[in-house]
Amino acid sequence: MAVLEANDVVKEFAEGSETVRVLKGASLSLERGEIVALEGPSGSGKTTFLTIVGCMLTPTRGSVVIDGRPVDPKRPAALPEFRRRSIGFVFQQFNLFPALTAAENVEYALNLKGRKGPEARMESHRLLDEVGLSDRRHFLPRDLSGGQKQRVAIARALAGDAPIVLADEPTANLDARVGEQVLGLFRDLAHREGRALLIVTHDPKVRAVADRAVRIHDGVIFN
Amino acid sequence: MVDLARKLLFHDKTRFAITVSGVAFAVTLVFVQVGLFEGLLTNASLAIEKTNADLWITARGTPNVDFSNAFSETLVQRVRSVPGVARADNLIVWFARVSLPSGASENAVVYALKDFERWGLPWSVVAGDPRDLRRGKYVLLDESAAKRFGPFNVGDYREFNGQRLKIIGKTREAKSFTTNPIAFVDYRVAQAFEPNQLDNRATYVLVKLAPGADAKAVQDEIRRRLPHNDVRARDEWGQRSRSYWTDSTGLGLNMMMTVFLGCLVGVVVVAQTLYTSTLEHIKEFATVKAIGGTNGEIYKIIAKQATIAGLVGFAFGTAMAFGLRPVMAGIDLKLVLGPQLVGTVLVGTLVFCLAASALSFRQVARLDPALVFRG
Repeated sequence: MAVLEANDVVKEFAEGSETVRVLKGASLSLERGEIVALEGPSGSGKTTFLTIVGCMLTPTRGSVVIDGRPVDPKRPAALPEFRRRSIGFVFQQFNLFPALTAAENVEYALNLKGRKGPEARMESHRLLDEVGLSDRRHFLPRDLSGGQKQRVAIARALAGDAPIVLADEPTANLDARVGEQVLGLFRDLAHREGRALLIVTHDPKVRAVADRAVRIHDGVIFN
Repeated sequence: MVDLARKLLFHDKTRFAITVSGVAFAVTLVFVQVGLFEGLLTNASLAIEKTNADLWITARGTPNVDFSNAFSETLVQRVRSVPGVARADNLIVWFARVSLPSGASENAVVYALKDFERWGLPWSVVAGDPRDLRRGKYVLLDESAAKRFGPFNVGDYREFNGQRLKIIGKTREAKSFTTNPIAFVDYRVAQAFEPNQLDNRATYVLVKLAPGADAKAVQDEIRRRLPHNDVRARDEWGQRSRSYWTDSTGLGLNMMMTVFLGCLVGVVVVAQTLYTSTLEHIKEFATVKAIGGTNGEIYKIIAKQATIAGLVGFAFGTAMAFGLRPVMAGIDLKLVLGPQLVGTVLVGTLVFCLAASALSFRQVARLDPALVFRG
């Protein structure tokens, strides 16, 4: 069963007096445990598509269904609830909170999802163990390497059992060896925990871990 | 629960120190201004509060206790005959010119009674006995006079309006609002200072009510018998004396302006530092939104940061103000920092800091969580 379904998604932006159509009927579905690589050149609409299926923007037309629940484009105020319950993010720039330790970064995400106190703390430790950072729990991001930061970001994305993880160029800021390790980690987690993983990338190595790769070009997704 | 507000605030220690310094400076400024003014105002009604008179009879329209006007001393007889009056005595409060050994002269406010002890005056005697005043040309002078009159000792002589008086004692904290020291002399001695104005005349009648007497009824009856005088209860008279300085002289407005400026400095510093801090952390707030946080959660973070900055700034500002108290006392300035003032400034600090933090809310409300995807 698909946990993410995007059907004929159109997104238009106003630029001065003109309307620019960035997505022109993009469709994609993801199953649990599936890894899909979304490739495409700059300006093809990758990030816009990611923000729409990540419930940060509503589509101009078309439908998005997250974990069986349709996203109502007329209710943007409901979007944070979709993000909180169903979606984990991994960003190119990691976007960790520099003032929080690795464990606190994960725990804070759990707090936002309604899990608090010792239970959240223990869960954050478990997630960091899963990504191989049990000995770096109390390190601030500035004291972690790029690969370790990305592992913390992955642990944060997994927090709260989100069925969908969206990753934006997760290996772009990592060297080749560390990038491969991170991709291996993605593959293991997706298959072991049954999460659907959509990776937006330019990196050809992502194909090696993905179950399938799709291309976006000029606002349309080609399987 | 991870306290992101506190962690972000303390992560940038320099910015936090700047915010706290701004609040602390504003708090100290408000405390010092209001405290000094309160200290001065205390002097404006101190003698009224220390005297154990229930009613004060003054010349019509007397604005405050220092600026007295004389009336016939025989009026006291009419007051004594009013039912409910236990005791009534004439009091003279008058400015006297004091000639100094240096050849200069200064003013003192003279309080003159026949029986000081009966009315609880002077309220703090550090040397001498007020009962000796009735024996002749003697004076009890407040020790604060040393600042203006030069050093003096018990046994020294000073000229008051040309009359040579022997200093037979010293008092403490007996100063008028105008900072002139108070001198206590016998009633007849004070009358001789200015015979053309004070001979057979007094400036106040002090009234002590009989136990169980109806103060309002006694007041009304005295008003009926002395239609050309004012009769005021102690609290009302104290309030009138203080109000004269705040309302009629512009000093109150002046103080309000300084307090306003102090608050403004605090608000601007807090608003500016929180606003720039919000802008600097905008990507982190976008991340909070991206991972499911709402605007409300980010507002709470900013408001909590403002509250912490306000509380820490208030603590430092209060400590500085209390630390200044002995310094001020050393230069003869009374800094009154009562619990009511401290409580009011605390509430004001928190309200202003929270109001200042609201400036950042607009940035947060407009914040696009998709910012996290931009490099």
